[in-house]
Amino acid sequence: MKTLKSIALTAILSLAAWSVQAQTVDEVIDKYFENTGGKAKWAALKSIKISGKAKAQGMEIPLTIVQEQGGKQKVSINFQGKEITQVAFDGSNAWTTNFQTMKAEKMEAEETENMKINGASDFPDPFLGYKDKGYKAELEGKETIEGTECFKVKLTKKPIKVDGKSEDEVSYYFFDTQNFVPIMSRTTGKKGQMKGIVQETLMSDYQETSSGIMMPFSMSMKFNGQVGQAMTADKVETNITIDPKEYVMPEGK
Amino acid sequence: MNLSKRLLLILIAPFGGLGAFGAFAQEPIPLKGDELFGTLRARQIGPALMSGRIVELEAHPTDPRVMYVGAAGGGVWRSKDGGVTYQSIFDKHTQCIGAIALDPTNPDKNIWVGTGEVWTRNSVSIGDGIYKSSDGGENFTKMGLEKSERISAIEIDPTNANVVYAGVQGALWSASADRGVYKTTDGGKTWEKILYVDENTGCSELVMDPKNPQVLYAAFWEHRRTAWSFNSGGLQSALYKTTDGGKTWNKIHNGFPAGKLGRIAVAIAPSNPNILYSVIESEKDDTKGLYRSDDAGANWKRTNGDFELTVRPFYFSRIVIDPKNPDILYKAGLSGSVSRDGGKTFRTLGYMHSDIHDFVIDPNNTDHLTIATDGGVYRSWDGGSVLDMVKNLPVSQFYQVSVDNAKPYKVYGGLQDNGSWYGPSESPGGIENRDWFSVGQGDGFRVYRHPTKANITYSEMQGAEYIWRYDIDRKQSKVIKPLAEANEPKLRFNWNAAMNLSPHKPDRLYIGSQFLHRSDDMGETWTKISPDLTTNDPAKQQQENSGGLSADNSGAENHCTIFSVAESPLDENIIWVGTDDGNVQVTTDSGKTWTNVVANVPNLPKNTWAYHVEPSRFDKNTCYVVFEGHSSGDFAPYTYKTTDGGKTWKSIVTKDIPTYVRHIKEDLVNPNLLFLGTELGLYVTVDGGQNWSQFKSNVPPVAVHYIAIHPETNDLVLATHGRGIIILDDISPLRQITKDVIAKDVVFMQTKPTVVREDAAFAEGGDAGEYVGDNPSRVAKIIYYLKNRHTFGKMTMEIFDKDGKKVGDLVPGKSKGINVVDWAYRLKTPKVAKAKTLSFGGFTAPRLPVGTYTVKMTKGTNTYEHKVTLVADPNSMHTDADRAAQYETTMKLYDMTEQLAYMVDNLDAMRDGAADRLTKNAKLKKVVEPMLKEFDALKETLVVTKGDNYVGAAEPQFREKLASLYSEVAGYAGRPSNAQMANLKVLEGRFNDAKTKIEGWQTTQLPKLNAQLVKLKLDEIKLRSFDEFKAADK
Repeated sequence: MKTLKSIALTAILSLAAWSVQAQTVDEVIDKYFENTGGKAKWAALKSIKISGKAKAQGMEIPLTIVQEQGGKQKVSINFQGKEITQVAFDGSNAWTTNFQTMKAEKMEAEETENMKINGASDFPDPFLGYKDKGYKAELEGKETIEGTECFKVKLTKKPIKVDGKSEDEVSYYFFDTQNFVPIMSRTTGKKGQMKGIVQETLMSDYQETSSGIMMPFSMSMKFNGQVGQAMTADKVETNITIDPKEYVMPEGK
Repeated sequence: MNLSKRLLLILIAPFGGLGAFGAFAQEPIPLKGDELFGTLRARQIGPALMSGRIVELEAHPTDPRVMYVGAAGGGVWRSKDGGVTYQSIFDKHTQCIGAIALDPTNPDKNIWVGTGEVWTRNSVSIGDGIYKSSDGGENFTKMGLEKSERISAIEIDPTNANVVYAGVQGALWSASADRGVYKTTDGGKTWEKILYVDENTGCSELVMDPKNPQVLYAAFWEHRRTAWSFNSGGLQSALYKTTDGGKTWNKIHNGFPAGKLGRIAVAIAPSNPNILYSVIESEKDDTKGLYRSDDAGANWKRTNGDFELTVRPFYFSRIVIDPKNPDILYKAGLSGSVSRDGGKTFRTLGYMHSDIHDFVIDPNNTDHLTIATDGGVYRSWDGGSVLDMVKNLPVSQFYQVSVDNAKPYKVYGGLQDNGSWYGPSESPGGIENRDWFSVGQGDGFRVYRHPTKANITYSEMQGAEYIWRYDIDRKQSKVIKPLAEANEPKLRFNWNAAMNLSPHKPDRLYIGSQFLHRSDDMGETWTKISPDLTTNDPAKQQQENSGGLSADNSGAENHCTIFSVAESPLDENIIWVGTDDGNVQVTTDSGKTWTNVVANVPNLPKNTWAYHVEPSRFDKNTCYVVFEGHSSGDFAPYTYKTTDGGKTWKSIVTKDIPTYVRHIKEDLVNPNLLFLGTELGLYVTVDGGQNWSQFKSNVPPVAVHYIAIHPETNDLVLATHGRGIIILDDISPLRQITKDVIAKDVVFMQTKPTVVREDAAFAEGGDAGEYVGDNPSRVAKIIYYLKNRHTFGKMTMEIFDKDGKKVGDLVPGKSKGINVVDWAYRLKTPKVAKAKTLSFGGFTAPRLPVGTYTVKMTKGTNTYEHKVTLVADPNSMHTDADRAAQYETTMKLYDMTEQLAYMVDNLDAMRDGAADRLTKNAKLKKVVEPMLKEFDALKETLVVTKGDNYVGAAEPQFREKLASLYSEVAGYAGRPSNAQMANLKVLEGRFNDAKTKIEGWQTTQLPKLNAQLVKLKLDEIKLRSFDEFKAADK
């Protein structure tokens, strides 16, 4: 009887181990949110402002990123005391700054349309309620990233346009199997100078923000496997009020 | 000897000898793959100017910009831009490709790749099954047929993408039942063998009727290769047809010659499926050649037996028919040919690399051809008369590699059908096609530079038909091959004949036939220092009869020859020899007596090719030998070590190695660090062979034929047979992995002092159509081992100089395993005065002086410290005093730049403050207005206040002039010019004038104004301190 029980127990244990192994994509994603503050806190996020530095080619450039619900966003850098908007989107227009004239210029219409398609849904995290956003997530086995076993999750967002043709917007996220936070994402450029270039973003230095959410304070980018630029956050502010004018393209400047 | 040079020697010394490693038995280190290698990454340097053998081309059915290229040993490449650039999309899998197919119902997404080349020359590699991508090539999944070895064709039903047929040519060197036509009806989950002939006869071509997917034609080929022979043809070779999706098949030979047949090519006209062409290899010359059928294969008629149609059927059996005109067809061949009259007559195609294997004809412009050759991809816009080469496909197939002692060092090697070459390991702007130079013709194999004479190289061509000593400077080559003397038998040389230098005598050269030949005068005179060291088996010396139905005596099957030779680095009297028929011979008396020690090797099948001998550099009784049995169908790894001169042997491969091995390289410093070149990539052990890991970072599972280690840079240089030369820069971190290291959380690795290179060449080139290989990184490396990946909490890295002053902030690597962090040893760029436009000179960061710096890495609450040393370039044309003058001047200008920025900040604060107060109280007008005028007048001379960063630029002002001088001085390693120093004086004068003026205002006018503001109950104007200004980002 004793033997039988222990056999049964072993069977149950190994079943349990099996279920740990056989993760579903939703289990991975749910664990990720659970381990980084819980879905409720994520959902309560209205806006975020990251102040930090970008490091590339030996230069250290002050950088600010603001994002808020609805997809409004702005990335600006500071060059020699001048604030330069690298990319901004006010919900209907996306724009950038020309480095020669230092004037604002509209982004290509297709690019703006693509931002409208997925940009609004990506905040604060593309995986939060991804099904309601019309996104698809699939677990595609495991892959070792940075010597660490990860779940490979394929995220397919709504199709975007590339040179007039509809294409899937696909990215891969690699969630550490130990702690379920993503340590890398991978996308492939679709057009222009980034066409065909595999961009990998490594995420680390997860820290708790004022809203109780854990976020990566360090991101390093690789292009076709080669180290490109890195971004470190000095300060992450959440749920602050941002003047809507911040996002609007300046006129006549 | 100056101090810095002495320092360099002292610091290098510990890396030169055995150090701490000794010859003790190594404890096992079970870390695998990236857990160990972390962020170590190899670089690929091509070259692409000669490219390599292309097996298969596949075009997108509707988008003419998309082209797929399958290489013999270099994987799958895709262009999405009309062939200007190609990207490798199959890097994770075997690089030997047989067939590529796109699903006609979803060609952007569904891509099938069948592995294993079907042009079965002697040097061909192997495949391991069929793969499918459902996401446009981002990821491929193996879908079975693992034992197929070679897949000749994939046909997909255009009405149902789950129905796929695969033609499996199968094993080349052995009998196998894994061949024939296979079909899946569930997208590759399961396969059914629907046509099988016998275990010697495989499906060499499979085509589907473009209008009726139930109709397929399958060519079957009886063939076999051994190391010493090739047979094409037999009674089982045949052409079959099905009209019911493969349920039933019938031979369609009406009109074909009787008797034995060889390889059969077949093609169906896309514009008229009743018209078929077939090329037949048969017993008699007058029945070989092209056959045409106008009734869907029911009857055949011979139309032509020209050379290009009948030449080497095993290599060239492919016909491609124009998509619109069934009378225009292209035939693969030595030069390739085209018929425009339905196969009656042919003309040879225009000049391109010989040995044509496949064609793609653009359906929208049928004069636009893309062609696969032994030397890469060619394209034509005029139907094949004039061809240009794609110059960015680095799929070159090296047989061997060696390095020289130039700085930067050069890489030498020979390639399949593409001669012998050398090129640099580093070149301004990257390693381009134009950086490579030819040092031999034909097929190239082993190439060496003379150890002391920089202008002399040795190279050879197939079967040692020629062995050259080439003077690079004088452009003269002398044939120096050993020749048979009176009463000697004919010399037998391998296709890839053994040749090596001596580690002891610079003018010495070894060449292996069946005998070992030695020259001590660079090949002028030869001494035979051995008897026949092979088995001399006459049954394996019938190359004249090789080929089967078509004679093929190219030298590729020469056998019973010496394949590998090496003189012990520790004793010139000890020489090891490996033969292709499985002998391992050793002499300890410089060739007087020889002992065949192969019988002492345990668990080794008889006559397994002794592919590489590697005498140890640590112990003269130790030697490694790699055996390789793939040419008898044995794909097992065989690598052995002896420590007693060959009396006993121990296998050092484990189940970690999945395939056969061609090469082993012993590290120069740590005897437990070994590198294996396998048919599926590079494997590394750090514990003397107890555990092996594949090194994957930028090294695909490509066949690695040879490995060199550069003794000064510690670079590992791989000769790959399909992806050119791949270099893993500085392997010294791998030398330092021990059981103790991997037990700790963080361990810094010792690195050689970094030489601060001063050369900075102008670089031009790198256009999209040309391949550019990566240069090594010149910067200092901070290398450490992390036990676990850092994901949570802060991790930072700072650099301090000898006085404890912080000089840099770096982003640390966080990978488990070895991390390499680049440090460019530069200060941050100076803070530059704010202006309307950018000051480009201001983006220059000063290079730090040589010396020792402290790295402080903080991970959570723990801090780890490490020292890095920068030393001056020993080839520098500058003195220490020159460099000191440069640094001093640079820093003076750096400080002036920042001081100017602060002055302008103060000026702006006073000006904007005064203007603001004026808007609040008009009484200030009298005082403030003239003040503003004065301020503005000065500011306009200090910084640019209008214009843009390009051709709308305003006249440069003081800031721009200062930045120009600063960047000029900072950008050169030596003493500034006299003109620059004079200019500094001028600028200092202007700087001081402005400073005096602004400080004057600060100390006189500003207090007065502030007193008035207080009276008027307005805020005082406050200026920030220099430190506050520096700390502020905005």
